[in-house]
Amino acid sequence: MAWYNATGKASDTVISSRVRLARNLVGYPFDGKLDPSAANEIIEKVSAPLEAAGFRKIVFADISPIMATSYVERHYVSPEFATKTAPRALLLQENGGIAVMVGEEDHLRIQSILPGLSLKEAYENARRVEKRLDEDFDFAYSEQLGYLTHCPTNLGTGMRASVMMFLPALTAGGYMDSLAAQLSKIGLTVRGLFGEGSGAAGCMYQISNQITLGLSEEDILKKLNDAISQVSDSERKLRSEITGEALEQLTDRIRRSEGILRYAYRMSSSEFLKLFADVRFGIALGIVTDITYEQLGTLLVEAMPATLTLACENAPKTEAARDRCRCQKIQNILNPSEQS
Amino acid sequence: MLCEKCKKRTATVFYNENINGKTRSYSLCGECAAELREKGELQDITSMIGSFADPFSSLHNDLFGSFFGIPARISAGSDKACPECGTTFREITKTGKVGCPACYTAFADELSGLIQSVHGTTAHTGNVPARHREKKERAEKLAALKAELQTAIENEEYEKAATLRDEMHKLESENGKETI
Repeated sequence: MAWYNATGKASDTVISSRVRLARNLVGYPFDGKLDPSAANEIIEKVSAPLEAAGFRKIVFADISPIMATSYVERHYVSPEFATKTAPRALLLQENGGIAVMVGEEDHLRIQSILPGLSLKEAYENARRVEKRLDEDFDFAYSEQLGYLTHCPTNLGTGMRASVMMFLPALTAGGYMDSLAAQLSKIGLTVRGLFGEGSGAAGCMYQISNQITLGLSEEDILKKLNDAISQVSDSERKLRSEITGEALEQLTDRIRRSEGILRYAYRMSSSEFLKLFADVRFGIALGIVTDITYEQLGTLLVEAMPATLTLACENAPKTEAARDRCRCQKIQNILNPSEQS
Repeated sequence: MLCEKCKKRTATVFYNENINGKTRSYSLCGECAAELREKGELQDITSMIGSFADPFSSLHNDLFGSFFGIPARISAGSDKACPECGTTFREITKTGKVGCPACYTAFADELSGLIQSVHGTTAHTGNVPARHREKKERAEKLAALKAELQTAIENEEYEKAATLRDEMHKLESENGKETI
């Protein structure tokens, strides 16, 4: 089962947890200085043990741009990986959300993504794959600087741990800027749904470690985990303070959003994300009782443009047709007995 | 990361200053760097790199060209090339990325200020690849034995000292084997 069809710990404030390890092979230059034949050689070398371990290999030169974008929407590859032209491949094991990008900025980006707050498990998943590859390959490493990476900002552990948080109350209260400033003081960064430069759609924010050198993997995870707990507590406290007329108004908005989500005929992805946030908030507050976090998690991937287009029987050719498809998809998942 | 002077704004200017052979690294925001420049406290810039963060990449180009009121002046070392991949320091300052693992050795001096600015340290403490781990563990054990030997000698425990010395010899010879 894919990570986005399940739910995990602290689902009221956390969508998913992700850990990625950047590794490079000794004997090859980094991206930019790496010629295509050497890039293909790395892909061949690394694929062998991973395919033997049950990973599926997806060569990005062989797939359509829309399929590549769908992997971005499922958070298995970065937007940069999907659009670059150099040879690259994804080695994927959906169970456990383990995706190895070969040919991203670093030769290898080993990552695990899991639902809910599961940083430790995500790290263990990624580390297990990394250890297996460490048996066969010599990773670029120096005692002083740790794992050597294309960009000096990833040196040391080469580890980026991130948690996708769902913070509607902090967003509505206008606290996100000051929260981001506070987190940056302790070496953590706040980004939008699809990473750097993406907006904070659907009240979702990725919080991740900025510093990769000088701290152990465990220290980085603990620091991030502690910060996530504190942010979750602040979010929950603010939610509990919504009472009286404010709660009545919010309940009205959430019920309306649920209605539109269930019964609209056409819907853009930006409208979907707004309704998604309202309904997810409604589940956390106990206002929405017959939609689950799992259903919304599935929609967060399957109602995105590329994944949606691929799943439609007759590939929609216009935006209007796609927006119609989106509503059918949503209704298939939320109202399986009332096919529209 | 915050500017080390005002401790309020984000640092976007990282550089090393070299005065009479002493190197000092700075990470400053644009305003504080401008202030220091006006006071004439910035001298003999040996390297200067804008923030690696993408949002500042255009700012970085501006900084590089005109921030200090001098035409993109970089030290002679900037034309030095990595012996492995041929990347020059000028290229690294432009892209914010190195060309190959050997660049970190070739440009160790030039990059140390920047790495310090980004991470607050230049020393790794996390996981170690299997191939390096055994070597590291042996070195640590050797250092511990050495300290123990010193104490034994000071306490005139010569029998213990002899045993420790033998253990050290044994470990050292294992080290030797590995490199052959």
